Amino acid sequence: MSEPTGSAVPAKCAKCSKPMSKPLVCDFCHALNPAGAEVDYFSMLGLPQRFDLNADEIHQKFLALNRHAHPDFHAEETPEVQALSLRLSANVNDAYRVLRDPASRANCLLELLGGPSLAEDKSVPEGFLETMMMMQEEIADSADQDESDERVRTREVLQTQHDGLMARIEGLFEEHQRSVDCEAVRQDLLGEIRRQLNAVSYVKKLLSQTR
Amino acid sequence: MSDEKLILGIDLGTTNSLAGVMRAAGPELLRDPAGEAIVPSVVAFLADGVTVGAEARAHAIENPLSTIYSVKRLMGRGMDDVAEMAEHLPYRVVPGPHGTVCVQVGDQLVTPQELSAIVLREVKARAQAALGREITEAVVTVPAYFDDSQRQATRDAGRIAGLDVRRIVNEPTAAALAYGLDRADEGTIVVYDLGGGTFDVSVLHVAGGVFEVLSTQGDTALGGDDFDRELIDLITSEIRDDYGQELVFGPSTQQALRNFAEAAKMRLSDGNEARIDVDLGDGRRFERTITRDEFEARIGPWIEHTIEHCQHALRDAELSPEQIDQVVMVGGSTRVPLVRQRVGEFFGAKPYTAINPDEVVALGAAVQAGILAGLRQDTLLLDVIPLSLGIETLGGAMGKLIMRNATVPCQAAETFTTYVDGQTGVDIHVLQGERELAGDCRSLGEFKLTGIPPMPAGMPRVRVTFLVDANGILNVSARELRSGKEASVQITPAHGLTTDEVDLMVQASYAHAIEDMQAHQLIDTRNEAHRVLSAIDKALVEVGDVLSAEQRQGLDGAVATLKGLMEGDDPDALYEAMTAANDAAEPLTSAQMNRVLKQTVQGKKLDEM
Repeated sequence: MSEPTGSAVPAKCAKCSKPMSKPLVCDFCHALNPAGAEVDYFSMLGLPQRFDLNADEIHQKFLALNRHAHPDFHAEETPEVQALSLRLSANVNDAYRVLRDPASRANCLLELLGGPSLAEDKSVPEGFLETMMMMQEEIADSADQDESDERVRTREVLQTQHDGLMARIEGLFEEHQRSVDCEAVRQDLLGEIRRQLNAVSYVKKLLSQTR
Repeated sequence: MSDEKLILGIDLGTTNSLAGVMRAAGPELLRDPAGEAIVPSVVAFLADGVTVGAEARAHAIENPLSTIYSVKRLMGRGMDDVAEMAEHLPYRVVPGPHGTVCVQVGDQLVTPQELSAIVLREVKARAQAALGREITEAVVTVPAYFDDSQRQATRDAGRIAGLDVRRIVNEPTAAALAYGLDRADEGTIVVYDLGGGTFDVSVLHVAGGVFEVLSTQGDTALGGDDFDRELIDLITSEIRDDYGQELVFGPSTQQALRNFAEAAKMRLSDGNEARIDVDLGDGRRFERTITRDEFEARIGPWIEHTIEHCQHALRDAELSPEQIDQVVMVGGSTRVPLVRQRVGEFFGAKPYTAINPDEVVALGAAVQAGILAGLRQDTLLLDVIPLSLGIETLGGAMGKLIMRNATVPCQAAETFTTYVDGQTGVDIHVLQGERELAGDCRSLGEFKLTGIPPMPAGMPRVRVTFLVDANGILNVSARELRSGKEASVQITPAHGLTTDEVDLMVQASYAHAIEDMQAHQLIDTRNEAHRVLSAIDKALVEVGDVLSAEQRQGLDGAVATLKGLMEGDDPDALYEAMTAANDAAEPLTSAQMNRVLKQTVQGKKLDEM
């Protein structure tokens, strides 16, 4: 997996020398560019480095790139080109998988913006664990419900919690974009996004256990 | 035409195999002169050679130990995987080298790869005869739920059969390709594929020439064979009730019961009952009418199992049954009414059964072959890996690196280091499966990284890249990051053949015992012609005087023509000349018959005859 480096799109296609608007494939001759695998996932798919991306747009970019990168379309070419197409297509697929899921997209963007990684900051927002504990008690107390009802209700509550956290993350990213002047404010915001994201992982784990 | 690139699309099935090619007008199946596209996936080892297909199946009862079917269930598997199933097979399945299984025929061991290669070679020969040209490349289908070992085994079988396997494609995906190729409508479809020995369910989004697999689930050991098995169990237990629990069924009887069960299953798909009448010898007879209700009660649990897989596939795709626009039924076992009924109930809609469930996968393989040959630039197929891939971590846990249902190609990387000063190699245990413990997952093999420059312990940073290609097959490469040196990776497969072993089989395979169709046919015809010529010689000595001068001249001419063609390479001309000589010798044959008859009668009294 290529580490996101944020390197720029090459100016010219190595094959036809025409200008390139996206890093992976030439707009004119559709030649594949090995450097296309070295850029961050947003740039790779030709998307802006933002959290609020449209799911359909991400999907369309993913399909459009695979129409050129997928090994099926290079089966009759040299082994080098075939290997390149395999590598680039794998990168495009990885990029799509990361960006289509809001939580993993947020995680990817956070690291790209220089925010703390999970390894660096494992904390959750203030009050989050208390909220979770209260919720669990509440669910346990509603004893008159049978087991499947209880599960459905737990899922609903967790889903609401999850959606709330994601909305908060979206707001924080917006705030971060507006606060161009002050680096201290930006770092604070990135730290808060990290904690919110950690809470999301926690809720997601619980959700998968209640399936 | 014959110089044009042509890649064969092959459906290598548990029960039947067939092939197709992509034409300008669309995919087309290849048929023999009689119009038959299907080659039963059966290989029979006989005293005078190896036969394949319908002819081999015809030998099943008289030759149960050396008539091999359902080989697909053995591909890429270990003894533990197949032990239970092997008990029900009349032929012998024994452990093979490093974790594989082999079939024992006489005193020889034959690998499943070689057996599949014999079937593939026959399919290839038929295709070559139908196309009138040589074929060297193919797309071969596998169940979507096949793991890495099973896919590799299939690719190896292709190589042994002299085919460059350009792509391994998943059967339900192939079916979706054939189903949706020129349909304009966008939608989410489910392919329910229940074959002879395997079950797959795939959820796909289809729109504007894009076929995107969202999830896949299945069981590579569940199929119509299990329905047969239920009927066989029913019959054998009742026979034992009638004639004694100690009754042992020999291989031939087992094979005969299998045939009865299969026929009964087919009758129960159309009618409400099937009559079974088995002659057990020694005046023992078993007669019984099986009703559809009885049959359905026995196969119900198997079908419920497939419905559970449908549930899981939908959950993985984050969809509910009502969000599915069409359920496409594939595989011969979807002819069973209860299967259609239960699938219809689960998805709340009548499943689509308008396509021939036996042919659609081969047609889809042909479409994929067409895409690779550059004939369908407008079609984009995005498939997924069916099972998660990972490595064994400290403490025997499974560390997942690639999650199931990830679009392929895909990749993951992991960094390893050394534990001892100067250590130059690292062993990695690669696993596939969903369970948490390494021991519960499928071992794909030990990957040995060597060529790491000697450094103090913990210093090297070996970056290992796990790349899954469009075939769903894993490729591993490694690089030591500090030195930038490429480390080499030696693979010891857990349930497969090494590259060297496959190479050897390519050179000296059983598949070579039957060269392609033309050569095979030529040799057979030549042998037959030799028999005809020596029979004529013998007859001329014994009864040559019965021929008129004109008849004699005609016969001599026919014999000379036949002798002239004996060393030629045209089997059809040879066959014609042989038939002509045989016809010309007809008066001799009758005279011989009469003579034999007369001698017999003279030697005995009438009532002794």
